[in-house]
Amino acid sequence: MESFKQAFELLFSLDKELLQIIGVTLRMSFFSTTISCLIGLPLGALIGTKNFRGKRFIKKLIHTLMGLPPVVAGLFVYILFTHYGPFGSLNLLFTVEVMIIAQVILITPVVIGLSSSFIESASKPVIETARGLGLSRSKIVGLCLSEGRSSLFSVVLNAFGRSIAEVGAVSIVGGNIQWKTRVMTTAIMLETNKGKFSFALALGIILLLIAFVVNALASFIVKENADD
Amino acid sequence: MIEIKDLKKCYGERTVLDIPYLKIDENETVAFAGANGSGKTTLLRILAGMIKKSDGTVDVPEKILYMPQQSYAFRGDLIKNITVGNSQKEKAEELLEKLELSHLTDKKAVSLSGGELQRLSLCRVLSRKCELLLLDEPTSACDARGAELVIKAIKEYKNENGCAVLMSTHSPVLALNSADRLIILNGGRIEADGRPKEVLNNPGTEWAKSFIAGWKTDA
Repeated sequence: MESFKQAFELLFSLDKELLQIIGVTLRMSFFSTTISCLIGLPLGALIGTKNFRGKRFIKKLIHTLMGLPPVVAGLFVYILFTHYGPFGSLNLLFTVEVMIIAQVILITPVVIGLSSSFIESASKPVIETARGLGLSRSKIVGLCLSEGRSSLFSVVLNAFGRSIAEVGAVSIVGGNIQWKTRVMTTAIMLETNKGKFSFALALGIILLLIAFVVNALASFIVKENADD
Repeated sequence: MIEIKDLKKCYGERTVLDIPYLKIDENETVAFAGANGSGKTTLLRILAGMIKKSDGTVDVPEKILYMPQQSYAFRGDLIKNITVGNSQKEKAEELLEKLELSHLTDKKAVSLSGGELQRLSLCRVLSRKCELLLLDEPTSACDARGAELVIKAIKEYKNENGCAVLMSTHSPVLALNSADRLIILNGGRIEADGRPKEVLNNPGTEWAKSFIAGWKTDA
């Protein structure tokens, strides 16, 4: 109960640092989810609608990458962007931008895997009907995405959920720097390490509240569109 | 003209279609009948390019329209369902009128009954032009009035466009009233082929005779 009280007190006190952490968390999650979906949904639609040589191998590879440990992704991005790494000259290490890159690497396979599975199974009648009308491949892919937008929205939410809850990769490449790259999950980890369990739990409650509000908003939008 | 030579479709060891030769004229309407699993849908799906053949050659025109057995309702109203992928709205309205669906124009397609949805699917294909029209059991969900409307619409479309029409059916009414030719399939092979009345009166093989006997009872 003390944690709940502390969580609401923190929220309503409009603590500057907390608001900054929430801002960074939302910015990172929004951009990583958006970029992952822009890459992942068309690729998922392509894999789901087209038969090609090596498709089974690619699906296996994507399913493997769906389980990629965040710390491994973080380490990989760290090596790429460290001072002596191939992208070291960009000076992106310990910035929100590199945290987004790490999350895109983590989330894109999830978006591709889930959307291709959905499109492959649920869109068969859409594809058959559209192909029967002689529609072009791009129109068929567009129709599949449009017809299954409720289900695909849950893919987007899943990606957002993974992004906002992720800690391993962002702490490696972001460094959990106060006023700069600290997000809710890394702040929780820090407070836990300091032994401030009550405060850490309060931050956890706020994180859950944010996830709940985003999900509720998304569900509302999907419901509004469901009858189109 | 459609010409099929040594066409085979196999799933592993199982041959589901085996047609040594079949020629269909460019203005012909052909009904394919046969029991479940006789190869009717497989043949139409191969001609439509939906599935690959295992062997043989198939010569078909370039512009093909195919209406699958399972009717699908896209999101949105009936007009949106017909004009999906750019067909004309006026043509869609005309077809809805013809198939007695115009009173449902503003309804969502997902709210239609099975028979209404099947007629909507037919509107969708008939709103476009083609050289070969493939219809997989176009009256299977329709009542007597619905089937009558479908038959009339197919005939009118054919007269306007001068295309070949190939359809699979379990309906003797559809075969007798709209087809120039009736082909009976059994286990992927042609059992009988000729004018519908001739095939009904003189089916040829024993199997075709027993199949037709069942059909006559239905009719």
